[in-house]
Amino acid sequence: MHLLGIDVGSLTTKAVVLGDGGVLSYSITESGDESEQSATAAMGQALRSAGLGIGDDTYAVTTGAGGKAVSFSRQHKSVNTCLARGIFHLFPEVRTVIDMGAESSGVLKLNARGRLTDWESQDKCASGTGIFLQQMSKLMRMSLEEMSELSFEAKARAEVSNTCAVFAESEVISHVHRKPPTPTADLVAGIYASMVSRVMVMCKLIGIEREVAVVGGVALNKGLINIVEQELGFKVMVPEVPQIVAALGAGIIARENVEKESEG
Amino acid sequence: MTIERRGGNSVGAIIKACRLMTRMNQATPGARQSDVLYYKMLEGYYRRLLQAHDDGKLIAAHTDFFPVELVYAMDIVPMHTEVTTWMMTLFTGENEDILSASAELGLASEICTPHRGLAGAFVTGAIPRPDIMLWSNLVCDNTAKSGELIMDVTGSDGFFLDHPFKQSDEEVKYLVEGLGDMVSFLEQRSGNRMDWDRMSEIVERMDRQIELIREINELRKAVPTPFSPLGFMQLLTVDYLCPGQPEAIEYLEALRDELVAAVKDGRGTVSRERFRLMSFFLPPMHMLGFLDRIAEEFGAVSVNEPFFTFWGEGRLDPSKPLESVAQKSYMIPEMRMFGPLDERAIDSIVDCAGQYRIDGAIFWANVGCRHTCATIKLFKDVLEDIDVPMLTVDCDVVDPTVASEEEVRDKLEQFFELLEDR
Repeated sequence: MHLLGIDVGSLTTKAVVLGDGGVLSYSITESGDESEQSATAAMGQALRSAGLGIGDDTYAVTTGAGGKAVSFSRQHKSVNTCLARGIFHLFPEVRTVIDMGAESSGVLKLNARGRLTDWESQDKCASGTGIFLQQMSKLMRMSLEEMSELSFEAKARAEVSNTCAVFAESEVISHVHRKPPTPTADLVAGIYASMVSRVMVMCKLIGIEREVAVVGGVALNKGLINIVEQELGFKVMVPEVPQIVAALGAGIIARENVEKESEG
Repeated sequence: MTIERRGGNSVGAIIKACRLMTRMNQATPGARQSDVLYYKMLEGYYRRLLQAHDDGKLIAAHTDFFPVELVYAMDIVPMHTEVTTWMMTLFTGENEDILSASAELGLASEICTPHRGLAGAFVTGAIPRPDIMLWSNLVCDNTAKSGELIMDVTGSDGFFLDHPFKQSDEEVKYLVEGLGDMVSFLEQRSGNRMDWDRMSEIVERMDRQIELIREINELRKAVPTPFSPLGFMQLLTVDYLCPGQPEAIEYLEALRDELVAAVKDGRGTVSRERFRLMSFFLPPMHMLGFLDRIAEEFGAVSVNEPFFTFWGEGRLDPSKPLESVAQKSYMIPEMRMFGPLDERAIDSIVDCAGQYRIDGAIFWANVGCRHTCATIKLFKDVLEDIDVPMLTVDCDVVDPTVASEEEVRDKLEQFFELLEDR
């Protein structure tokens, strides 16, 4: 039986195939209008990457915004539960997880058994999310990678509102057009700082316990991670593929379920 | 200010809904007799309100925790402002209309929705115009300001009762004097004399009412718990609307007897009790049916509400009615949170968590309630110290636009997963 975890997110769908030794393969595909199709496509790609047949017997646990709508899902679990399982598998020493996804962000606390004990999240505002970062990238006419690299050259952080993505955009424009204009590197660092400050509020609410991991697509941005570390005052752990941690966790739950069922 | 009457009378709709609930409960095999009595009590309350002017009686609108026992003793018909807004939300679905009307009045969206909703309800003519407005600073700043607004909107007379924050002898004496002044005001305004014998009877019944709630609280410790998942809302409403009234006693005695029988038989209120919850503040009224279904689906039941159903220590003395009413105002469960939040109140959270075998807590964070939201972190930290997780659900008791059922369901599901995983 093939064990799969599928995270149907708002922008991308992630699938992870688990084998006896751990992750066999994974896929990250764009989410479509239909969660079922998105999950099927991501599952197909991940199975093919692992050299497995789509028609073979599978046991999939889903998570994410669209996970409930997947008919072949054996169980749906919340993203936070899956993130906790996934990160504990990768970094058992982690007790706090900062999740910066496409449309939401959150902070999770784990116990020594890797179980979720508390969380704070915000999904009412784009500020602090991947979509905000993409919007800023367009505004700055730079790729996300270019922004990240440039941020390391910043001498200071430009002041950018941390309360509203729309107002932040206006602020960035005014920074660009002021005389003399705010140095681009400082502006990028300011944008990152505004996103991080949003997350730090949640960190303070929930309480930071080391070690800390950052997951979600935004964690790919090294410049932003640098700001997170500056704010926290210590290094954080970032998985090699930070987008797939929830899908990995869902896969681990799939494996646990199958083991429980086989034990009767 | 001109009152533009646009809508029909919502009180009639509340009465019809209560009557329907009574009939449904009567027709449902195994339904609780206490539920029948509860809806009859609500129906009676709103029927008296609807007929008050025809019966030649004055209507006194009043805010939360106002000593309405005095109003009853003077044969004046009370109208609880906040609860009436809840009832409109629950039974008539007019909450969006009345909030919209309140916006036209210029009330900001940050103001507590039951208060601004009620102002909107008066503007639209959805509820009868009160002859008198009674309000106090018990328990919050919204309450303290609400009376002036409603007087302005309805053109009614009013009396503000200044409730001292703390409970020293001097402050209680000051409160008793204020209550005496209020009686004089009501006598002058209504032409009715205070019936002190009737007042003593009401205080005696109020004391009985508190004792019955204490008995019910004891019964709720049973595993599985015998009381409905959101049954505490009924306990609140009984005190808010009918303190010291015979129908309140009748309801509570029936409920107590039913719970005794259920505990004896080991019968729980949900099919499979999995999560015993502590609740803080109020869930959205428009979601009560949805939350009942969630409770059954996940086996999650509120078994304890430290600041909603747990009365402070003490007994009321019918021979000293005004002093008893003053004392009651400090014993009110909510007062222990809204008032001076001392160590005893905080300790009671820990005690309750242990005694009721609490798995987790839910804080219904009503965005317009600054007082309660200020306690979220405090309570969360207290519970965290004893390893009880707390979920905070941003919502609003009246305004359906603050949180959708889908959002609330997602949060609750996640929280139940967390509890299950521990």
